[in-house]
Amino acid sequence: MSYFGEVALGSSFQPFAALQEQFGFVPKLFRAQTLLPRVLEAESALISAILFTDKALTRIQKECILLVLAAVDGNSYCFTLHYQMLKLLGVPEQRLDCIVADYQRADLSPTTAALLTLVFTLGNKEAAQEASSQGLSDESILEAILTAALSRFLCTLSAGVGATPDFAPRPIPSLQVPLSDTEHSAEFFRSTPKPPDNFAPMLFLRKEFGSVPKVFSAQTLRPDILQAETDALRHLLLPEDALTRAQKRDILLAGADLETLRTRGLTENQILEAVVTMSFGAFFNVLQAGLGAGSDFTARMPEKKAHLSVPLDRHTDVTVVDPDAECVGKVKAGDLDAFEELMNRHSQRVYRTLVGILGNPDDARDAMQDTFLKVFQHLPGFEGRSKFSTWLVSIATNTAIQRLRERRPMESLDESGPDDEGFRPRQVQAWTDDPEQLYSQAEMRSLIENGVMKLPIKYRVVLMLRDIEQLPIEEAASALGLGIPAIKARLLRGRLMLREALAPHFISSGNRRSAQGVTN
Amino acid sequence: MITCADFMAEIGNYLEGDVADEVRHQLEHHLSHCQTCTVLVDSSRKTLKIVTDTGSFDLPEATFRPIAERIMARIRSSDK
Repeated sequence: MSYFGEVALGSSFQPFAALQEQFGFVPKLFRAQTLLPRVLEAESALISAILFTDKALTRIQKECILLVLAAVDGNSYCFTLHYQMLKLLGVPEQRLDCIVADYQRADLSPTTAALLTLVFTLGNKEAAQEASSQGLSDESILEAILTAALSRFLCTLSAGVGATPDFAPRPIPSLQVPLSDTEHSAEFFRSTPKPPDNFAPMLFLRKEFGSVPKVFSAQTLRPDILQAETDALRHLLLPEDALTRAQKRDILLAGADLETLRTRGLTENQILEAVVTMSFGAFFNVLQAGLGAGSDFTARMPEKKAHLSVPLDRHTDVTVVDPDAECVGKVKAGDLDAFEELMNRHSQRVYRTLVGILGNPDDARDAMQDTFLKVFQHLPGFEGRSKFSTWLVSIATNTAIQRLRERRPMESLDESGPDDEGFRPRQVQAWTDDPEQLYSQAEMRSLIENGVMKLPIKYRVVLMLRDIEQLPIEEAASALGLGIPAIKARLLRGRLMLREALAPHFISSGNRRSAQGVTN
Repeated sequence: MITCADFMAEIGNYLEGDVADEVRHQLEHHLSHCQTCTVLVDSSRKTLKIVTDTGSFDLPEATFRPIAERIMARIRSSDK
């Protein structure tokens, strides 16, 4: 299962034939992308050149790198895939568990240990020198760095497409990973041969980016890889059937926020292409860090920077304490009952968000199914950078807005209503001391619900989230994509308008007769 | 001296308790002699209390349960 629908491509589809041959099956990660066969061609070119071609490193060495880095990333999909591959390649489970738990105590050969240290501390010149002193050639070091970049590519991609593991998910143990300060250097390799002036990949890059990004000049030891990388970019960038070339170049160089993109009304194909483009961006970002090649490609999200000082990044990333984190983790591991628990916890919040926007309880109940199905579908890509509840409300908000657009194309959360300017309170008679004693609870609810429903949508939704659902202001701002000042201004306006609507029912008895006369 | 218009410009922050002491003193001084603004503050506070206390827009469990069951059925069938 993934976020995207699967289309049959036939057994002769070359990228699938290559994957079938190398993995023994076509992993779900790739089956999740059949909406855009050309991106599969792009990926297949890259993966074949790095992983399936035996040049300096063996397949087992490369799979080991992929396994430990997937563990560092906490990516259950990739961890399970590479664990299974290594088993198929004949590495016993016990050995794999030792390597993942602490490779420095796993009795690895000095060269393999040096390779793993190198990929854990990418960009660190000493680690590269240590690898050289263990007899690893420049070609081996380059291939290890390429494999680390491929790991980041696969992890970003699998999270982005929401692939569920192909096999029973393996629990990821806690890791012993060396930390080091990174010292970037452009002098990793003793020689970087200059390719001929008419070398097609360089011509393509010059045309596409204006000049050749340094990360490519640093890989001239492997023209076949450069060819594969630029073939992949050609498949990815040139067609404009989903995103435009300029959009993709932006995502490639600067990244994108997938959680936001998913809720912005893009087509499935566009979102898929954004995910793939971002994964390629992450690949080049790790590569440039590993090669000390300067920074043309920026990873948008902090944890996408590279496999640099990962435990530190992880630590500093934990900025929100989320009471739902454990439950979310269980769902990601395949526990569907945990999803039901999340629904039970948040049904009121989702319902109120939907009512707040749609302005109708029947429509809101109807939209709940859509919302929770989207939440389930996108959960593998939810990275916990906001609280789950905030993320959930933003999905509910966008689901409701989408429905609203279908129903009333002109209405939006940003519209300026006739009351926007010049709102002045008109009901200024004193209220009774204890208004809640005047009506039964059911009557009170009815009064409030009617009053809230009559508010313009932009005030209604904020009041619903802040005062009725009592969402903290920061979470409401984040879920609605508004600044805190805008939330405050809309909330005040909503409260004052609601006060105005309720006033005739609550003014003190001495004033009531005249107030009813005014409103009737 | 602040006017009713000045008071209205600050009423949101005042209701949230989010004003500096000096501003709060000025606003409260205005309230001490302005019946209209006093009514506005009092009725706005009561509005907020009613809205937060009444439990409006509750989705009854009996309404939610069949929705939840439909969602879980969809999820379980697509996960197979």
